[in-house]
Amino acid sequence: MAFVDIVLGGAFHAAILFLVAAGLQLVFGVQKIVNLACGSFYALGAYFGITAVGAAVGLGLPPLLFLPVLILAGLLIGLVGLPIERLLSVVYRRDESYQLLLTFGLLLMFQDVFRFVWGATPRTMDGVYMAYGTAEILGTRVPAYNLLVIAASLVVAAALGLFLQRTKTGRIVRATAENRDMAEGLGVNASRIFALVFTVGCMLGTVGGALVVPSSAASLEMAVELVVESFAVVVIGGLGSMRGALVGALIVGLMRGAAISFMPEMELLSIYIVVVAVLILRPAGLFGKPAT
Amino acid sequence: MLQLTDLKVDIQGSRILNGISLSVAAGELVCLIGRNGAGKTTTFRSIMGYRRPSAGRIAFDGAEITGLPTWRIAQSGVGFAPEESEVYADLTVAENIELSTWTRPKGRPAATRIEEAYAVFPKLKQYLARGGAQLSGGERKMVSIARALTLDPKLLLLDEPFEGLSPAIIPLIAEGVASIRAMGKGVLMAESNVHHVPDYVDRLYVLERGELMFAGTLAEAHRDRGVMRVIAGDAEAMA
Repeated sequence: MAFVDIVLGGAFHAAILFLVAAGLQLVFGVQKIVNLACGSFYALGAYFGITAVGAAVGLGLPPLLFLPVLILAGLLIGLVGLPIERLLSVVYRRDESYQLLLTFGLLLMFQDVFRFVWGATPRTMDGVYMAYGTAEILGTRVPAYNLLVIAASLVVAAALGLFLQRTKTGRIVRATAENRDMAEGLGVNASRIFALVFTVGCMLGTVGGALVVPSSAASLEMAVELVVESFAVVVIGGLGSMRGALVGALIVGLMRGAAISFMPEMELLSIYIVVVAVLILRPAGLFGKPAT
Repeated sequence: MLQLTDLKVDIQGSRILNGISLSVAAGELVCLIGRNGAGKTTTFRSIMGYRRPSAGRIAFDGAEITGLPTWRIAQSGVGFAPEESEVYADLTVAENIELSTWTRPKGRPAATRIEEAYAVFPKLKQYLARGGAQLSGGERKMVSIARALTLDPKLLLLDEPFEGLSPAIIPLIAEGVASIRAMGKGVLMAESNVHHVPDYVDRLYVLERGELMFAGTLAEAHRDRGVMRVIAGDAEAMA
């Protein structure tokens, strides 16, 4: 397999991983919740994306509009984050183990919801992945859809950075993340900030899932598989760091791409070798703040 | 404007405040004096809604605020500068100070409020782009008070504004408190050192082991040996 293929395949996977990991980081950074259900949001986006594209086909929309349909579907179903955040609010001030148990419970419950609504057989989507044709890069032809998803992910990364660094709401979010009590003492309704952050985090996951489904399939296992990879990203990049999510996703995506090309049976092992190395050499991750 | 009536607060089964009643009228500067652990910070945190009282009531501006969430109390016009300053390390000085105009946009224009805050602590203009983590203790204190001021409050709670500061910086903070008082804002200030209490203070309350042992003027406090023993140490009281 050509080098360009490996790099672009890895970057495509990294783009999707970044979206989910960014959601995970945002929620942890502000709400201090390690959300194991992030994988479920990803799977939910994938399943709902299939339904939405099915509806778009029914309406006679041209295939070129399927990508915006998928993005819209991901954003729309991401609103499920609002009621879930209310549910999680009961464990905000409790021990982390409650949060892990509750979000793990959600992961399992979602799996049954998927089975009930979409069935146990993996669902695929035809006609979208190649609808955008191919592009030639350094003599290798690659699906243009992959490039569009990579670009979309970079746009999201830039928009998220601008939102957090440059907008009033973004700065209020950062202040709440750093010291919730003081933010409330300055008039911030932290519950509203939490609802906003969790819903945005959820949308990042659902959009990620909706974007990946044309290239693969929506299946019951995809939630857990992604949780495993997302946590690798977070450990490598550093818990709570957006820059860490970007770099971590790139490392995991490229390692996975290389492993699949040269030694498919080493796919997870190769990623977790990096995770173990980071945990030993730099426990806070590449961009994480060391514990004080 | 602020009225605490028979306030009782328990923390982990221990009574920390036992029947505190105090008031601050509009434009008054009132000091709450007591040794470390007397309950000053607990009083402030209860007013701000961080701690729920076991009994008693807190009223502000004619409305009961007991049990309200902290953000609502802040939104009603109570500015709080905590003892540890709690300046945001991740934000610049300018952002820290502007923050309160975003969280409480109602009221006077943001630019006026910000200008007023810098007029109280002109030194801060030198550090606008500096991160909150790169400030000295005194600078953090100034940012914390300025940030509470840009909320455009009717009442400011200043928890030990002079605590842990170098003697060189104390006059700057004292001048700032005087400017705030001159603006006509009500101020309730906690202090453990009677020497930091400005002589223009309207009233002071002395807190000892969760109970108020004195309420009166600074001159009356100076005449009361028992009070001076608590707030200035035994040797000075005997002198």
